[in-house]
Amino acid sequence: MGIGQELRDVLNEETVNRILQEALARGGDAADLFAEQRFRTSIVLDSGKIDSVTYGYPRGGGVRVVLRNQTGYAFSDELTYNSLLDAARVASSVVETQSRANPIDVTRRTLLPPFTLVNPEPLMPEAGKLDILRRMDAAARAADPRIVSVRIEYMDDVRDVLIMEAGPAPAGPMPVVVAPGWGGVLIHESLGHALEADGIRRGTSLLAGLQGTRVASPLVRVVDDARWPNGRGSYAMDDEGAPGQRTVAVEGGILQSYLVDKQNGRLLTQKSTGNGRRMSYRNWPIPRMTNTYIDKGTSDPASLLNGITKGLYAAELGGGSVETTSGNFNFAVREGYWIENGKLTRPVRGAVLVGNSLETMQRIEGIGNDLKVETTRGTCGKDGQQVPVGVGQPTVRFSSITVGGPSI
Amino acid sequence: MPRQPAYDLADKVRVQAERSGAQEVETYLETNTTIEVRIRQGQLELLSQSAIQGLGLRMFRDRRMGFFYTTDLRETVLTELVNRTLALTNEATPREENKLPEYLASSQSDLEIYDPAVVQLRPEDLVKMARAAEDSAFAKNERIQTTRDVRCGASLYEVFFSNTFIARQTFRATSVWLAATPIATEGAQKREGTYVDRKRFLSDLARPEQIGERAAERALARLGAAAVASGRVPVVFSAEAAAIFLQGLLPALSALNVIEQRSFLAGKIGQAVAGPSVTIIDDGTMRRGLGTRYFDGEGVQTHRTVLVERGILRQYVHSAATARRMNVPATGNGIRSYDSLPTIGPTNFYIDAFSKTRPLIEDVAQGLYVNGLAGFGMDTVSGEYSQQVDGHWIEKGVLAKPVEGVTVAGRLDEMLLGIDAVGRDLDFRNNIASPTIRFKELTVGGAA
Repeated sequence: MGIGQELRDVLNEETVNRILQEALARGGDAADLFAEQRFRTSIVLDSGKIDSVTYGYPRGGGVRVVLRNQTGYAFSDELTYNSLLDAARVASSVVETQSRANPIDVTRRTLLPPFTLVNPEPLMPEAGKLDILRRMDAAARAADPRIVSVRIEYMDDVRDVLIMEAGPAPAGPMPVVVAPGWGGVLIHESLGHALEADGIRRGTSLLAGLQGTRVASPLVRVVDDARWPNGRGSYAMDDEGAPGQRTVAVEGGILQSYLVDKQNGRLLTQKSTGNGRRMSYRNWPIPRMTNTYIDKGTSDPASLLNGITKGLYAAELGGGSVETTSGNFNFAVREGYWIENGKLTRPVRGAVLVGNSLETMQRIEGIGNDLKVETTRGTCGKDGQQVPVGVGQPTVRFSSITVGGPSI
Repeated sequence: MPRQPAYDLADKVRVQAERSGAQEVETYLETNTTIEVRIRQGQLELLSQSAIQGLGLRMFRDRRMGFFYTTDLRETVLTELVNRTLALTNEATPREENKLPEYLASSQSDLEIYDPAVVQLRPEDLVKMARAAEDSAFAKNERIQTTRDVRCGASLYEVFFSNTFIARQTFRATSVWLAATPIATEGAQKREGTYVDRKRFLSDLARPEQIGERAAERALARLGAAAVASGRVPVVFSAEAAAIFLQGLLPALSALNVIEQRSFLAGKIGQAVAGPSVTIIDDGTMRRGLGTRYFDGEGVQTHRTVLVERGILRQYVHSAATARRMNVPATGNGIRSYDSLPTIGPTNFYIDAFSKTRPLIEDVAQGLYVNGLAGFGMDTVSGEYSQQVDGHWIEKGVLAKPVEGVTVAGRLDEMLLGIDAVGRDLDFRNNIASPTIRFKELTVGGAA
């Protein structure tokens, strides 16, 4: 007994069977039980000193009952047979008219991850974690004497120097070239969210009903890949037990596949693409991205600046968001440079990119051969659920995006 | 509902940590029971119930701090966590401010944050309210044929607190909410609009019909929106947009950020930082307020703090530690849940209503009225601001045409000083609120 106690000590095949039977006692298409325990370590280094140390041990379980488009979900922080049985009863009450209960069959299945993890930091002794933080702090301070304050949270990162010299951002539409790697947040927000099957099934996404039609420039292939090696969004199985897979969502600019979970898949008569994810046992699964990227093109990245008399090079994007109904999206540009006559010139500060997904994706006129997928950062929020994701792209050139900033 | 034994357990673990070598220990036990339903096209799409019960324990030893949280309240687990955390605490750096606040929370009058009527709400009651809101959105206009969803929920929240110096103290609070997001359609164009009301008391919640209707109006108003030309013009932020703006401003008023030189408002106490019609208040004692509580996450009694008074910066927002460092009284803004350390956060945080001397929109010849804000372009360290907005173009004092796909931008210090009008339409539907405000001039980035 104690921390790290196996979930199987509480949930064996017999108790799981009984809980799921209770969940489906009033009828329903499917039910699942999701139990979880985590052990988290967090260390904050502030102004060169270890500021706080935290251990977290959240643990609990939730029961979901699904009937067509209806979901009942209840969870308990207390991981006991009785509390989960109560949760099953509450979840089953979503079924308003009692129907015949289906027999259930619980079998054990083992899925192995399609990759091996490199350097699993959580397994490192505390001394090693503290060492990483101290080295990061020293490196940040050594970078430039103008760095006066550094705060590092373990498993997070610090940046950056050039911004202090930057001039204010311009305003208006102009050609934009986005750097490889993290720039993939653009595809994540602009098309990725609209591909998720819940908005498709409800008809609220701008991509609903557009399978087989053009949604981006013919140069564009968009991939969502749960099997990318060491990706933040990689997994052997999603949170509904479906295997993680590589899905080509857009090919040659044509919409091929949505990102599908089991419930919305049933309603759309499409197979799950292994995209049913949840933040923890406190949440029910919803369709989410994994590692999403624009696939590599054929252009030499340097050549993508050619012929631009005045434009913006986004070296580093910040956060972004999208409204999937209208397709209106926005991004902060954390590090940007003017492009003048095909060359990068002065840094630009405080710019944002805004646009409409479909219009903007049609305006991709060049894709580099330098694909990079970020595997160290990226957390996506939807419906109050935060999950780790990967994003990526090669260098991408847009003929025009509206850039906002303090000066004209 | 938390059960008495969990309280006793929290006390027992605290004593155990004290005996194991921690000099000061604080326990924070929180329970939260929430029911929410979501309706779409008249049908129940989601019924969810959550039962949260977690314990956070903060300990200090020789001015070093350690913390753990868990939802697993078995005694063996708690003992193991106390021991592991004490060991890791030895690695932390001693800091002068690493100690518990000394003040005791004194008794306060009834702040009216608990409504038994909310606790009694059943899922079928919530479904009924949500359906009524959706029906009224559909009834508003034939271009509203669908909704993203309508959500209605109720929660009961209870806190138990004790530390080495303070006897146990508790409070409980309720909240109830209704949020409608209908979608307006015209040809291939779809636009959604959301209206949310959230209150402590069921009787204070707006009627579902009113919520549905207002949400529908918002979605309809966005149809046919287009970008406008770039330029520098007067910009009016609706009450909701102003509240989002204010929320983004909070880090600049955080005393920790000020101390660490991470705020553009550092060193400006006593100076004019905003237009003379701007008063910004944080009030943890407001009756029935959504951010109201008897004590904060460190056991400090909540206060009403005037941060900006008629444009003059008077005070920052403090946790117990920053108050000690800056040698001022604590403001009761150590906000937390059981799974986090107290950080500086808002209680009821708002721009006060100003008695309107001039109409806000009526005397704008040409400008932008902003309804919605999106994006991460607010930097309270450097003071840079730019966000994606939608709203309406103002022509000769009236809302002339819907606008989207544009940005507004400025420098935060200049923007605040340039607020030249504040409305009186302050309405708390969240713990952060503002009346309509007007910026004399901002940069709008749009079409060429």
